[in-house]
Amino acid sequence: MKIDRILVDLKVTGKMFIRNKGAVFWTFAFPVLLILIFGAIFSGMNDATYTLYVQDNDPGLYSDKFIAGLEESGVLEIEMVDSDANVTKYIKDNSVTSFLVIPANFTANVSNGTQVAYVELLQDQTQQSSSVVSSVVNAVVNNFNNVLSGSVEHISVDSGAIVENNLSYIDLFLPGIIGLTAMTNCVFYMQGVQSRYYSTGIFRKLSTTPFTRFEWLLSRALWQIALVFMSVISIIVVGMLFFDVHLTITIEAILMIIAGCLVFTGLGMIISRFSKDEESANAAASVITFPMMFLSGSFFALESMPSYLQTIAKVMPLTYMNEGLRDTMIYGNAESALFNLGVLAILAVVFMAIGTYISKWTED
Amino acid sequence: MAGHVIEVKDLVKRYGDLKAVDGTNFHVDKGEVFSILGPNGAGKTTTVEIMECLRKPTSGTINVLGFDVAKEAREIRKKVGILPQEFNTYDLLTVRENIDYFGAMFDRRIPTQELLDAVNLNEKEDVFYKNLSGGLKQRVGVAIAMVNDPEIIFLDEPTTGLDPKARREVWDIIRDLKKRGKTVILTTHYMEEAEILSDRLAIMNDGKFIAYDTPRAIIKEHGYGTLCVIKSGSRAVADMLKAQGLNCELKENDVHCWMQNKADLQIIFRQLESSGAYYDEVLVKRSSLEDVFLRLTGRHLVEEV
Ligand SMILES: Nc1ncnc2c1ncn2[C@@H]1O[C@H](COP(=O)(O)OP(=O)(O)OP(=O)(O)O)[C@@H](O)[C@H]1O
Ligand SMILES: [Mg+2]
Repeated sequence: MKIDRILVDLKVTGKMFIRNKGAVFWTFAFPVLLILIFGAIFSGMNDATYTLYVQDNDPGLYSDKFIAGLEESGVLEIEMVDSDANVTKYIKDNSVTSFLVIPANFTANVSNGTQVAYVELLQDQTQQSSSVVSSVVNAVVNNFNNVLSGSVEHISVDSGAIVENNLSYIDLFLPGIIGLTAMTNCVFYMQGVQSRYYSTGIFRKLSTTPFTRFEWLLSRALWQIALVFMSVISIIVVGMLFFDVHLTITIEAILMIIAGCLVFTGLGMIISRFSKDEESANAAASVITFPMMFLSGSFFALESMPSYLQTIAKVMPLTYMNEGLRDTMIYGNAESALFNLGVLAILAVVFMAIGTYISKWTED
Repeated sequence: MAGHVIEVKDLVKRYGDLKAVDGTNFHVDKGEVFSILGPNGAGKTTTVEIMECLRKPTSGTINVLGFDVAKEAREIRKKVGILPQEFNTYDLLTVRENIDYFGAMFDRRIPTQELLDAVNLNEKEDVFYKNLSGGLKQRVGVAIAMVNDPEIIFLDEPTTGLDPKARREVWDIIRDLKKRGKTVILTTHYMEEAEILSDRLAIMNDGKFIAYDTPRAIIKEHGYGTLCVIKSGSRAVADMLKAQGLNCELKENDVHCWMQNKADLQIIFRQLESSGAYYDEVLVKRSSLEDVFLRLTGRHLVEEV
């Protein structure tokens, strides 16, 4: 392997990228447009529509803290319901979309530490707002758990920590946009470039040089990673400037983006290998990425989807990237982040290996 | 065998039931321009790409520069330069950047400036590849094929789709390669081009070589020799010439006479003058590779001209 050749190839790729105004524009603008559109839609809805009805049956301290946490998220309007009201009847009579029941043993279970404390979230999932509400409730639960597990002996919920992680829809949404960007960038770039170089004869030409297929693929993967990081930076900058996002950039997040890029670069390689020409490769790439776009939790939290869709989501690589990025960038849930990172890393190795093995430069 | 840079024996390439190359035998001499002439789908590219080690033969032995294609592809690739059919390099790099790129990919290289001189592209060195005309693009392709200073250069249909002027410019460059002592292997479906440029050539059809020699020898063997056409000549003219022992025939409105020797022409002119018969003009044509192809296959080489 010669690093020189890879560097030459990377340099040339960069040059061509800069000269391709359309590519530059879309690399930066596509994710930003997504954020602006979705950000505008959902931040406009914040004030009025996210009402969460809460029935607090717990006389203890923790339920109050929990409710305070929900309130401090800034996204939800909390409407307290009498503890002797009939839940089913109340929901029906008042057209409630999201109803949270805190059981009587909540505080007891939380302070016990060995018992899991449940809250029950009843939702009308046909309503768009339900996904936002459930995301926020989940975030607060997560936060609670983190704070609790951080100090096992003296359990106290520091509401300050919750304020710090004051979540909005856009916070949940940004990691999804990063995953989505990595996927579309890598898959479409890779299948496009492979089909094109095959038909223009560049591959046949390269195969007579000492530059190997592996070196070329390595150069592609490095380029994709660089490109996706450029997009990610533009996403975060826009998020911070316009929407006051609360993301933390962690080592895990960076590793996760790299692994995700490799997964999708490999996927793009595989797609183009099984397609006759550029058009069919492009069509195949759309067919594969489109469901992932919507079912992997880029736009909506997975929990808000019907369970059979959640099962489908489990086999989609993008799901692990989105979940992992949320875990580490928003919830600060290191354990879950590492699990998702592990899955992505394994997928990256598998996809790249298959892609490298089957990709071809010549007829046979 | 001395002097043969390429040696091909019983080459067969199958794609399923199709025999793309069907048992060809040939050799290429050092320093010559060798052409493979044939219509679409004849098997030219398949043959050439097997010699370039880009495809594997189904059977046969192929030796390039003393190396076996099956085992020593790496050695061969260092010493050959290729211009693939319908080659297009990076659109958004300039001519110079494209040449530099491929130069860097090879271990051995000729300075870019020298290559620009060789293909006469000095004035265009800073133009993006995508903005070049078809002829100039092919010249860039040739320059890139030369970048590792190869002994053999393969050009797969370098003039297809070019206008006549651009085609002639590519011819000049091919002649120039020969002057530099390179062996050139050219594929084409233009018989004129093969005839003018080649030292030797093969005519290929349906995977087989149907003729293989110097252009002159092929025409001599398979052509009809020299033909004299008397435009708008009558049946009377044809009969008159036949009476003189000439091989003549009325074809549509013209009288066609196949020459057996040079004296025949004098007879024709004398007879025309003394009889005062009406005719438009007299043309003398040598048979071409196109005629050879038509005769051997019953088809035209290029469908529409
Ligand atoms: N990879 C392949 N798979 C199946 N058939 C093939 C393949 N490559 C070539 N062929 C077939 O083999 C035959 C010879 O093709 P080839 O490309 O060598 O012809 P050619 O003389 O170069 O034609 P052209 O002038 O169109 O370039 C054709 O019938 C073609 O369809
Ligand atoms: Mg061909």
